[in-house]
Amino acid sequence: MQTGPEIRHSLCRMCDDRCGIDVHLEDGRIVDILGNKEHPWNRGRLCVKARAAVDMIYHPDRVLTPLKRTADGWEQIPLDQALDEIAGRLADVRDRYGARSIGVWKGEAIGFGQQETVARRFAHALGSPNYLSNDSMCYVGRYMGFTLVDGAWPIPDLENARCIVLWGANPPYAHPNMTQYITAARRKGATLVVVDPRMSAIARRADIHAQVRPGTDGALAWGLVRQFVEMDAYDKDFVEDHTIGFAKVVDYARTFTPEMVEAETGLPAATVKAMARMMADAAPRMAAYVGNGLEHHENGVGNIRAIAMIDGLLGALDREGGTLFKEPAPLRDLTLYDEMPLRHLSPLGTDRFPVLYDMRQECHTMTAMEAILSDEPYPLRALVMTGANPASTNPNSPKVLEALRSLDLLVVRDLFMTETTAVADYVLPAASFLERTELHAHAKHQIVSLTDKVVSWSDVQGEYDFWHDLAVRLGIGEYFPWEDETALNRWLLEPTGLSLETLEAHREGVEYSPPRVGRRRQAGFDTPSGKVEFASAYLKDLGYDELPVYHRPAYRREPDAARPFVLMTGARKLLYLHSRFRNIPRFRTAIPGPEVEMHPDDAAALGVADGDTIRLTSPIGAVDLPVKVVAENEILPGNLQVTHGWREANVNLVTHDDRFDPVSGFPLMKSIEVSVQKV
Amino acid sequence: MRIVAVDPDACVACRDCEYACAFRQSGDFARSASHIRVNFYADERACVPLTCMHCEDAWCLAVCPAAAIDRDPGTGAVTIDATRCAGCKMCLLACPYGNIHFNAETGVSAKCDLCGGDPMCVRACISGALRYVDAEELADLRREVVDASLKRLLRLSKGVR
Repeated sequence: MQTGPEIRHSLCRMCDDRCGIDVHLEDGRIVDILGNKEHPWNRGRLCVKARAAVDMIYHPDRVLTPLKRTADGWEQIPLDQALDEIAGRLADVRDRYGARSIGVWKGEAIGFGQQETVARRFAHALGSPNYLSNDSMCYVGRYMGFTLVDGAWPIPDLENARCIVLWGANPPYAHPNMTQYITAARRKGATLVVVDPRMSAIARRADIHAQVRPGTDGALAWGLVRQFVEMDAYDKDFVEDHTIGFAKVVDYARTFTPEMVEAETGLPAATVKAMARMMADAAPRMAAYVGNGLEHHENGVGNIRAIAMIDGLLGALDREGGTLFKEPAPLRDLTLYDEMPLRHLSPLGTDRFPVLYDMRQECHTMTAMEAILSDEPYPLRALVMTGANPASTNPNSPKVLEALRSLDLLVVRDLFMTETTAVADYVLPAASFLERTELHAHAKHQIVSLTDKVVSWSDVQGEYDFWHDLAVRLGIGEYFPWEDETALNRWLLEPTGLSLETLEAHREGVEYSPPRVGRRRQAGFDTPSGKVEFASAYLKDLGYDELPVYHRPAYRREPDAARPFVLMTGARKLLYLHSRFRNIPRFRTAIPGPEVEMHPDDAAALGVADGDTIRLTSPIGAVDLPVKVVAENEILPGNLQVTHGWREANVNLVTHDDRFDPVSGFPLMKSIEVSVQKV
Repeated sequence: MRIVAVDPDACVACRDCEYACAFRQSGDFARSASHIRVNFYADERACVPLTCMHCEDAWCLAVCPAAAIDRDPGTGAVTIDATRCAGCKMCLLACPYGNIHFNAETGVSAKCDLCGGDPMCVRACISGALRYVDAEELADLRREVVDASLKRLLRLSKGVR
């Protein structure tokens, strides 16, 4: 521990944006956290979540010693004993049911970077293909949608765009400092379109707030495609040289007239036309970003693919002010997918959602719950998770709890006791982002940085140490030959030609290769055909739609008269991230509790006002929540929104774990039919 | 001197600035403790951040009978000495913008002091709507916003293609 005033530089991991931070210490204790002015992403600015990491790290409720469940409750035990016992019980499960009956699961509660690949490596070294994570509920749906079309998920060049289009994304709350880039573009005259059923924070600044019905974004995207064709506003050279499937696109788009789009999305036909004009006028400097809002639908990947097509049509791909293809950092890969493929062991969910495993080597968490409860297709008897809280964040929480309870062994590493640790056999203290050192690549700036371990606790292990110690006890220590996380970081970094010492001296990051524009146009796109794929032969071979065909949401196709409201869940609030941070007192002062957002007309019809409790009931379950009546233009009549992660009113009591996007396997969480009763 | 310039055209009313200021004043996130206020008007989709402009001819300073309000020689900020403030609230009445607050608990007036030259509201402003800039730069910043609006309008009015 250091003494005296001191500033250390690192990256914030309170969300996934990895802003540069200055950590202020006094006598070895963190006293404040401010934005690092040298960091190219946040440039000294920082949302208030980052500063409150001080509260999280020194929180009186931190789990700082290993805990074992006994008949008399939790017993504190030494770390070595905990690791010995856990390894012994994992070995028992492995001997009895085979290695694939053991799963590892990473969450976001400690902020993940390379630690994900350590967990993946452990699973494969052990002989299990079952790696599970929160990514199969956030991020992967978009990664898939864009990668299927473009061969990668390109990064919008927001600050150089003439028109920015955000689909189901609210940067001020979800990626705070991204807002700076939107402002920079707007200060140069860029227009902003926000497609969102709610008036989000960023929609307050939009030139067009396209308030579409939940899950109908694909109809709007196809309507725009049709307009671009009608207006003769697409980039013919790009389409000719770099895309496949254009003729089919033109043919399929024909029915998506502005009037048809209006009927489906609720957006006036004139607005559809105006939006198309705005985008076409800015092309090729049109930058689009898609948020999590589009993922949790039964037509999510299709809608995202339809939106991705627009970048190609407008020639905005691989172009300044459009979208950029970044080169990944040439770090070593820690996973063992090439050395030890385990697909033949039927990773859970692969048969139903093959693309999820093909593209991300992810198993399907909802299928895992079924497997635990039914032993089909084979038993899953033990889970080891870090920073994951599926009992709160996965759909159908009661079933998740039932499944987790019935495991032979559940080990949870976390900073705090959660809904999930409540059913664990062992709870181990995990290291927060300021208690370990890891490498991060910022693709936008093509920089790699090394985070700083600023604080340590005696019984708190970093991810590498934990998986290493467990591996050694299970006889697979050979896969973890590095002495500690620093030795591992050195090995990972080697191919870049940069040294750890250089990164230590430049915590704001060092460029690993200069960004280049136009590389994909030259060398081809990273798809099976090397072209931008409006039509995907890969998907067709798997039995899916070749084109991103629009499928109407179920509540539009065959509405359930008994459940007339459409519930969206999971809209981000500024101060909370999934189920995290509800225990930070200053956050509770600002945003005290859960609520259901409701249109004034619905509130009047139901005879409810702010603070009145209502019950939402879906085919899965029911949840009681206080009403928050929002302004007329903040939500559509008939729609409701509830943010997840509240212990006192868990909206995942009503979300679907039985209805999925057919490609990504993402659950239906953002267009749920519910009934509403005043309680 | 430098002041906190506000750009309502960039503000999204996320309230990061309010929480950052409230935290500095009180150690908590109660908006009422913040010296910067962001009002959001849903019907107009308008976000209005407002904080002390540290007027050259500061009426609050002039009117204070206890001589508790002074100008910080280092930052140029108009500041209140809580130990001298008599709690008469004349400054609240004098400020044309409502940027002085009365703290009923302590019985004294309170206002922005520019955090000694590193305003926390600006450090927390993730949209870039708040900037800590020289007063001489204000006109340029304002012109930039107006130019951008005009560019947008002109482009949209052309009836593209």
